[in-house]
Amino acid sequence: MTVHFILKLGACLNRIWVYHNLFVKLLITKKTREDSLAVPINFVEKSPIPSGATMLCGFPDVGLVGVLASSHVISELNLVEMAYVDSDLLPPIVVLHEGLPHAPIRIFGNDDLLVTIAETAIPAGGVQRLMRSFVEWGKSKNVKMMIPIGGIPVQNRQDIEEPKVFGTASSLDMIKLLEQKGVNVLKEGYMVGPQALIMRYCAERSIPAIALLAQSFYNYPDPEASAATLNQLAKVTGIKVDVSKLFEKGEEIRLRAKDVMKRTQRELTKMKKGQEYDLPLYV
Amino acid sequence: MSSSRRRRSIFELINEYIEEMESLAEELLPTERPSWDIQAHTIEPLCNVFVTPDEVVVTADLPFSDPDSIKVEPIDRNTLEISAKIKRKVCCEDLGIIHQRGEFSTFKCQTRIPMPVDMEKREAKFKKGILEIRLPRKKGYEIKVE
Repeated sequence: MTVHFILKLGACLNRIWVYHNLFVKLLITKKTREDSLAVPINFVEKSPIPSGATMLCGFPDVGLVGVLASSHVISELNLVEMAYVDSDLLPPIVVLHEGLPHAPIRIFGNDDLLVTIAETAIPAGGVQRLMRSFVEWGKSKNVKMMIPIGGIPVQNRQDIEEPKVFGTASSLDMIKLLEQKGVNVLKEGYMVGPQALIMRYCAERSIPAIALLAQSFYNYPDPEASAATLNQLAKVTGIKVDVSKLFEKGEEIRLRAKDVMKRTQRELTKMKKGQEYDLPLYV
Repeated sequence: MSSSRRRRSIFELINEYIEEMESLAEELLPTERPSWDIQAHTIEPLCNVFVTPDEVVVTADLPFSDPDSIKVEPIDRNTLEISAKIKRKVCCEDLGIIHQRGEFSTFKCQTRIPMPVDMEKREAKFKKGILEIRLPRKKGYEIKVE
């Protein structure tokens, strides 16, 4: 009886401890958010940025679909680094390539294409400000169209041989474009994360934008889903890229991308990414 | 309406209490450690657990693994160990690890099962490099609806 009582008491104290910690966490999050409003986000341009280019955005999301797609486009089209993002909103990370330090979020490009890639998870606390800055920067460069690439998590992904790609658009004209090109339009549902915010801010700022989202694993790197989005990208924009390496090197990509995927998953959980599974409200 | 509830033993209560404390500690103090171990030649694969009304489903991403070498072993009543041999030689450099030398030969991870399950009735399949293990949940008690 006494042991039972002690355990019960322990459980009660434990609960109090849990709520105390949650409360402290909430206060810290609130303070961090307030502090983050004052942190500047700078786009450091290393070479002249072309006006009127198409801009692809590959931010870490489910299956790292966008990141893998962006990385593949950069490598296949031999794009050069044109700009990078400098902000204290990002973790104190440099990415080393061939011995040289680089910012974790960079923009590559040529005369008519800009490709954004992030090599680390975007902190959930700064995602809104960062994505708004991207859209504003794109607007200042008079981009022709913004195309965020990402994934839609599906639970039976293993049983899907060819992932379907769905599109969302920032305007009715863009929806018509998707329909003309034969892309399935995601008409109802929730989008959560960097891709979702880009679409919302593009709609606000009247920037033509389409998001290409492939059925993907939630928390495993999915190069096949990336290949599927790039095939649709070719249909919609004419930007053609050979995707065979994404299949040939699929296992290698999955192995190397697993740690970025793990960190991305933690941030996605904070963003409540799971809401994409929710049934949309009937309004 | 009637119900019959199994009385839990002291040991079950203690275990439950300790598990709760451990999961709280994990949540509040996430440890930063590498997902690979040079000494043991192992790589920790990505692993995921989700719960359905009837089952607990554990998946693990095992690229380059030999399907015949995959082992799924219960360590205790709520921990599962997954291991698999890697088909080809994977060096540190292949993973972008330049500051250390060594090779990896095995995937290995342990995952905690959040609900009571029947470990003996587990089913596993391996498709597209992903291992999926289905564990039927134990039913505690039943409420009869009249």
